[in-house]
Formats: sequence, C-alpha cells, structure tokens
Amino acid sequence: MSIASTLGRPFASMAPARRRSAATCAVALIAIIFPLIHGDDADIDSLANALSYAALALGLNIVVGMAGLLDLGYAAFFAIGAYVYGVLSSFQLQPDWSSFWEPFAFLGLVARMPGQGAVDVVHTTLSFWLALPLAGAVAAGCGIVFGAPTLRLRGDYLAIVTLGFGEIVPIVARNWTSVTNGASGLNGVAPPSIFGTSFGVDATPYYYVIVALVAALIFVSLRLRDSRIGRAWMAIREDEIAAGAMGVNLVRYKLLAFAIGASFAGMAGTFYVSKLQTATPEMFGFPVSVMILVMVVLGGMGSVWGVVLGAMVLQLLQSWFLPDLTDWLHQLGALIGNDAMQKIDLVQSIELIFGIVLVLMMLYRRDGLIPAHRKEAALTFEQQHAVVERVTAFALPGIAPPTARGKPLLEIKDITVRFGGLVALNSMTLTVPEGGVLAVIGPNGSGKSTLFNVITGLTPPASGSIRFGGKDITGLPSHQILQTGLARTFQNIRLFPNLSVMDNVLVGAHSRMQSGAVRSILRLPATKREELMARERVMEILSLFGNRLVPRVNQAVGNLSYANRRRVEIARALASGPRLLMLDEPTAGMNPAETMELAEQLKQLHTLGLSILVIEHKLDVVTRLADTVVVLDHGEKLTEGLPDEVRRNEAVLDAYLGRAHAAVKDIAVA
Amino acid sequence: MTATDLLVQQIINGVSLGAMYALIALGFTLVYGIMELINFSHFNVFMVGSYIALYVLEAFGISGQSTLMSGWPLVGVLVVALLVAMVGCGFLGVVIERLSLRPLRGVKGPSAMITTIGVSYILFNLVLLFLGTDTKNYPNPLPPLTFAIGGAVLRLREILIWVISLALMAGLYVFTRRSKMGKAMRATAQDPDAARMMGVEVDRVIMTAFFLGSALAGAGGMIFGLYYNFTSFVIGYSAGLRAFTAAVLGGIGNVPGAMLGGMIIGLIETLSGQVVAVRWTDVIIFSLLVLVLVFRPAGLLGRVAPNKS
Repeated sequence: MSIASTLGRPFASMAPARRRSAATCAVALIAIIFPLIHGDDADIDSLANALSYAALALGLNIVVGMAGLLDLGYAAFFAIGAYVYGVLSSFQLQPDWSSFWEPFAFLGLVARMPGQGAVDVVHTTLSFWLALPLAGAVAAGCGIVFGAPTLRLRGDYLAIVTLGFGEIVPIVARNWTSVTNGASGLNGVAPPSIFGTSFGVDATPYYYVIVALVAALIFVSLRLRDSRIGRAWMAIREDEIAAGAMGVNLVRYKLLAFAIGASFAGMAGTFYVSKLQTATPEMFGFPVSVMILVMVVLGGMGSVWGVVLGAMVLQLLQSWFLPDLTDWLHQLGALIGNDAMQKIDLVQSIELIFGIVLVLMMLYRRDGLIPAHRKEAALTFEQQHAVVERVTAFALPGIAPPTARGKPLLEIKDITVRFGGLVALNSMTLTVPEGGVLAVIGPNGSGKSTLFNVITGLTPPASGSIRFGGKDITGLPSHQILQTGLARTFQNIRLFPNLSVMDNVLVGAHSRMQSGAVRSILRLPATKREELMARERVMEILSLFGNRLVPRVNQAVGNLSYANRRRVEIARALASGPRLLMLDEPTAGMNPAETMELAEQLKQLHTLGLSILVIEHKLDVVTRLADTVVVLDHGEKLTEGLPDEVRRNEAVLDAYLGRAHAAVKDIAVA
Repeated sequence: MTATDLLVQQIINGVSLGAMYALIALGFTLVYGIMELINFSHFNVFMVGSYIALYVLEAFGISGQSTLMSGWPLVGVLVVALLVAMVGCGFLGVVIERLSLRPLRGVKGPSAMITTIGVSYILFNLVLLFLGTDTKNYPNPLPPLTFAIGGAVLRLREILIWVISLALMAGLYVFTRRSKMGKAMRATAQDPDAARMMGVEVDRVIMTAFFLGSALAGAGGMIFGLYYNFTSFVIGYSAGLRAFTAAVLGGIGNVPGAMLGGMIIGLIETLSGQVVAVRWTDVIIFSLLVLVLVFRPAGLLGRVAPNKS
C-alpha cells in the first residue's frame, strides 16, 4: 500500500468542511517549510515574486471576480503602492532640513544628513512595516477618488475608463521626475528591516513576509466572500438592477470592492518595491494589468484559491518551467540539427502564451482551474418527483398584521412617465390601503410594468409624487425604497443565476442585516449570530412553498424550473420583511394547478398581514386574491372597482378584446 | 515660421492623423454598434495591416526614398498595396471572429472582451516572433511636391492620406445607407433579435462588420507607415488606443461620430504636442476619455439607451 493511499483514505472520508481545513493546513505547512528543505535562493526568490502576484490577483479577484467590475488598469494601484514606499524610503526627496522635520525625525520617519551644499537635507526613512498599511490606505483612497465618478458607468465603459487610468498613472510616474526619478527609476529603496537587522539581499525573509501577507489576504477574501458583503458584490455582478431593488446600495458596494481591491495592490506594490529596491514606470503598464487579469481568469473568477493558483502557475511557468523547456528545445534542436529550434526562446514568448491561455480558457473553461461555484449534485429522481406538500398553516416572523387596516399605505399621485414622445403613464393616481390586495390588469403595453418601475425607483417620473407609509419616496434610489418596506418581483424574473437559492434569498435579507466589512472579516459573535438567524429565517420563508424549494436550497438558481424561479423571487422579496409585496405576473409560466397553489399561498400571506400589489393576467387569480382591481389602458386608469364589477365593465371588454368585440356587438344590436 | 504658420501646419498634420484614427475608430464602432463588444484585437489588426502594405510595396521594389516609379504606375502600386492590406486585414478580422468570438455568442459578461485581449496579445507576439523587434523603415515613394500655405507646407503625402480616407469613409457611409447589407447592419445594431426574426442573418452581418472594420484598419495601417515613415510591432497599442478614444468621444456605435472623434483626437495630438509637451499628450487624451465617459457616456453624437428592466 502506498503512502498516498494511506494518507488519502482518511482524507476522503472527512466531511467537506474538515477536508477543506485539512487542505489549508497542508498548504500552509508546505509554504512554511519550503525554504528549510529547499535552500536554493533563486527558487525562493521566484516563489516570493509569484506570491506578490498572487496578492495582486486576490485584489483584482474582489473587483472583477466578486463584484463583476472589469478593471483593465489595476496595475495603477500596484504602482501607487510601490511609489508610496519607494519615494518615502529612498533618497529621492531631499528637502532642506529645518526644525519642522524634528518631530518626524523623533518618530524615525526622516533622518538628517549632510547635503551637497551648505545646509543639511532630509532623508526620508519610512519603515516598511508602516508603509504596508499606509500604501494600502493610499491606494484605497485613490480607488475611491477614481471610482466615485466612474463606477456608475456600464460594465464595458468602466473597463475603458480604468484602461485610461491605468495608462495615465505610469505616464505621470515617467514625467514627474522630481518625485519618481522618471524612466530611470528610483534608486536605493531601503530594504525592510526587523529589530534593526536589514533584510538585505537574501530571499528567505522576503519570502516569509509575502507568505504572511498572502495568507492574510486569502483570509480576508474568504471571510468577505462568505459574508453579507460578498453576497452583495456577487448580486451586483449577477444583476445590478435586481441587487439594487433588493436593497444593495450599488455605489457604496462597488466603491468598497474597488477600494479593498486597490488596497491589496497597494500593499503588494510596497512589498514588490522593497524586494527589488527600485521602481520604474515600466513595471506597472497595461501588460501587467492584463497579466493579473489572465491570472484571475485562469484561476477562476471569484474563486479565492483559484486565483492564487492561477498567479503561481503563470509566474512559475515564466521563471521555472520556460527556461528549462527552452533548454530542452535547444538541445533537441542541436540533436536533430534544426537551427530554428535552437533559437526559440520561450521566455520571450510568455505574452504569446498568456494570449493563448486567455483565449483557450474563455472558449473552453470559463470557470477557470478552480471554479468559484461548486456544482451541487442534482436531486434524485424520487426527490424530483415527490408529492407536492401543501403547507396550510404558517407564520412568518417580521410580518405583523397591519396596525391601521384600510389606511392608505402606498399613494401614487398624478404620476406621469414619458419615454421620448411616448407617454407610458399619464397622471396615474392609485392608492393601496394597508392590508389590502390591489390587482392591476390591462392589455400589453398599458403601462403596468412601468408603474412598478416608477414605484421602485428604476424609472424616474416626469411629474407626480409617490408616498409610502406617509413618507415621500419619489426619486429615491431603489435600495432606499426597499428599506421603507416595499419589495418587488420582476416580470422577466431577475434572480442571481449563479448563486444558490439560499444566497439569492439572503440577498433579500441584506437590508435587514448590519455587518459591515470589518465585522465580516473579524466574524464577531454578533455577526455570526446575525448570519445564523438570517439563514434560519430564509428556511422558514422557503418552507412556505412546502417541499418545492427546501430540498433545492443549495442548488444554483439558474438550474431551477421556471415556476421554482418565480417562487425564489417571491421568497427573496419576502426576506426583506416588506409591508407591501409587489408582484409582477407571479403566475406567468405556471400550469393551472401551480397557479392555484401560488394563489393560495399569496392569500395566506395576505391573511398574515401583508399588503399586496399584483399585476396579473389570469382573471381567476385576480378574482380570488384582490379586493380591488385597477384596469390600465394606454397609460391611463380605465376603471377601478371590485373584481366582479370590473369583469362586466364595457370599457374593459373593449380594451381587452378590441374593436372587433365592439363591432360584433354593433352587428348584434343592428 | 510664425505662430500662425505653425498652427496651420499642426492643423494639417492633425487632420492627417485624425483621418487615420477615424479609419481605425470606424472598426471599433461597427463592431460595438452591432455586438456591444469592445474589440481589442482591432489594435493589432491595424498593426498587421501596416506590415502587409509594407511588404506589398517592397515586392514592387519600392523602398526607402525610392523614385523608381512615378505617375500612373506609382498610383497603381499604391492602390494595389492599399487593397491587399485592406483585404488581408478584412480576412484576418473574419477569421478572428469566426474562431474566437462566434463560439462565445450568447455568453453573458466580459468573456468576449477578454477573448479579444487574448487575440490581440497573440497577434502582437506572433509578429514579434516572426518579424523581429526592429522598427521597419517605410518607403516614401511620392514625388517631393509641396504647396505652401503661408509659411506652412502641405505635402503630396497629406493630400494622398486625405483622399484615401475620404474615399473610404464616403464608401462606408454609402454602404451602410444604401445597400441591403448596410440596412441589415443598422437593423441588427438596433435590435439583433428583431432583425433575426425578420430574416436577417445576424452571423453574416457580424462577419461583414468585422471584415469592413478590419479592412479600414488595414488602410489605416498603411497610412500610418506613409505618415511616419516607419512601422513596428508596437504601433497597434498606442495608435489603437487613441483611435478607440476617438470612437468613444464621437459616440461608440455611431459612424459619423467615429469620424468626428478621429479628427478631434488627431488635432488634440498635434496641438497639445505644440502647446504643452509631447510627453503629456497621452495623459491629455486619456483624461479626455475619462471625462467624456463620466459626463457624457454616449459621446458627442451618440444617444443614451434607456435603462431596460
């Protein structure tokens, strides 16, 4: 029996979570003992370089992989971090010495040294250990300053803007010679030192610093990924509009991703420069941004361990394998007398290899080496064909019976919406009373979905006002409207397809949770408790649909049936604890049995105290659910009344059945 | 030269550069208009075009300051070089689309754009690998005929560049407005699904857009060589990025916008080199790009599409 299988057997029998932590420990152990068992300084040096790229890839992974913001100028933040330490720890800036510098000298940030002329000058001596967080903070600050105006741009436009930024920063570094020493680069950047001992030129201490840094960044990435923050990022990546409608503050979370990603690059930059002891503008150009992107794509966008692997593979390919491979090719060429083969230098062709890797990965394995989203096993035949359970009695915490039944909850006054010359809604006035169910019906193009969009802040009204629970919500961004207690579903279903049912519904609970980035990283007991409670609540909400969703809770939503996706969307809206549930054609695509099942469930929600505004075409659902029916036609309110009244209304019949109906009637009369 | 003469001279130069940028920008715009894809491989299709035209000219024995040919034979050779560069690049564009982008049709997210970055890298490094790193001299076969405008000089070279660009842009405009395929392209740009249902073969439309855009970039590549008298494997990135800025400035997806944007970028390049310093030109251009996108994302002539939900 081999050692591998002896070790492998207990590993295979472990629970997944324990298996993961065992693998993590093994990787950490190998990283720690590597320099002890393999003393070659050049190899340790290559590994340290590769790990600095892993740090960069981890940062870009947060921006591109998790939040879905394509950044083509990420190396700019690497440059900023590099120059922060490079400039402040070299002899580049030498202002004249004055008493102003005394306190800094006391803190050890600067030193006095004799200058070329009569006066002494300042030598900046920022410690590496201070520079690391400082560079992270400066880069994050630059990320925020740069991101604030640009992050609202659409995806591909954002990519261009970041590309422009990525071009500008190295050019500034090249031209601003008084600070950066231009194209010739900074000289004499101080190596880090610890307890007065300088790291010098030995690779091993640098290696341990970057191992610790990468370990910390992996930890931070994993904690963020599995938190409310990471879910918000992934929701933005999957569907920005739905994320906003579910209470995610888009601007804030995009900026957060940008800033955290930038801070990783800033720290990596400081480390890289301290190791090389020089910085030139060429180290941070577009090719570097692309290389980091290739690492992320190769490893798997959004996959923390994947991008680390991607960075290591590409870097070590460059420094370890390609020189060897080139040697072999040359020897082979000499052997068979092929001149061309002896001239090939694969190290020079690294960018060609990057290009090929990028294209092949995109064509054949877009999920990367380690996909971010594990595929859950499909349900068994028995589970898929289980008898549908009907839940008859249930309660949902957070949904309380209305205090003032019948009082106006949602008041829409004179709302007009125009798209160019088309008037989609013409001074619409509507009221949903507390505890009521209002159904909106009308032919296609009558303005029903526009009504929903204008209420939830997706479409700005030309005039008019919307009040909810007495509060004016006209013109508020979607996420704030959700927080007032108004949650919606979409006609075309807007879920987050790559996220599980659980994560989708948890995004709905986003605005009910509070943990920010720092608390999510530290995972304090309060944060843990909050997360646990949210998960329990999600399970309660899912059980509302009997055994439809509960067995599928870990499945990716993209794999669910149409009807189940509609149910997930309703569950997601319910998770925000709304007072008014807005449903845009909730039973579209469901068969009659499923339709009645859902109508029953909605009825029960209403009994629990939820007010409902529903767009629906199926009149039997409308009749069963609604207290009041509003009929829209051509953006105007045709009539309003009890379901049965509306059904018999002549104008409604005309609108639905058109002129032909009227003509037939005329003939009948004649 | 007086200040006015210098200004006139820089405007002449700027318009020539602008015409080249406009030709490249049209390729970005045609593809973006139809597929909403930023095609980074276009940068280096342009670069390949300048090499193709160079080799055709050299094949006819035209190199350096050659006065071997003149009159109609010279015109003929220039036209042949232009056509070969255009057709060669056009097919290169079609091959790129067929092999690397068609399999990704319907895939959401940045995959297609990332693929074009990869293709761009491949083209760049293949040229580097097979043609070497050295800058190649471009022939200057035109007779040294000049016209004086005050103290500024208008050379035959500039006139040639203007004539080629104008003819190509006019041709493209007529094609998109008058031909059946042009109408199909405009329809696909508006709504690919509706166009498909009306019997438009969207794959063929996309292929045509790649062919035309790449062919124009090929012409741009030859103009680059004639203007600067050199070509190199690195020209794709810097010229391509400026042309791309031009497309965005004019309103990406908008054909007249690309022409206008090209002219503006060309003039900014020569005038900022004069007024500020050449080393800051790129910063000015990219800052402009960022500012345009932030404050007028649809560009000068484009319209913002309403948010669909």
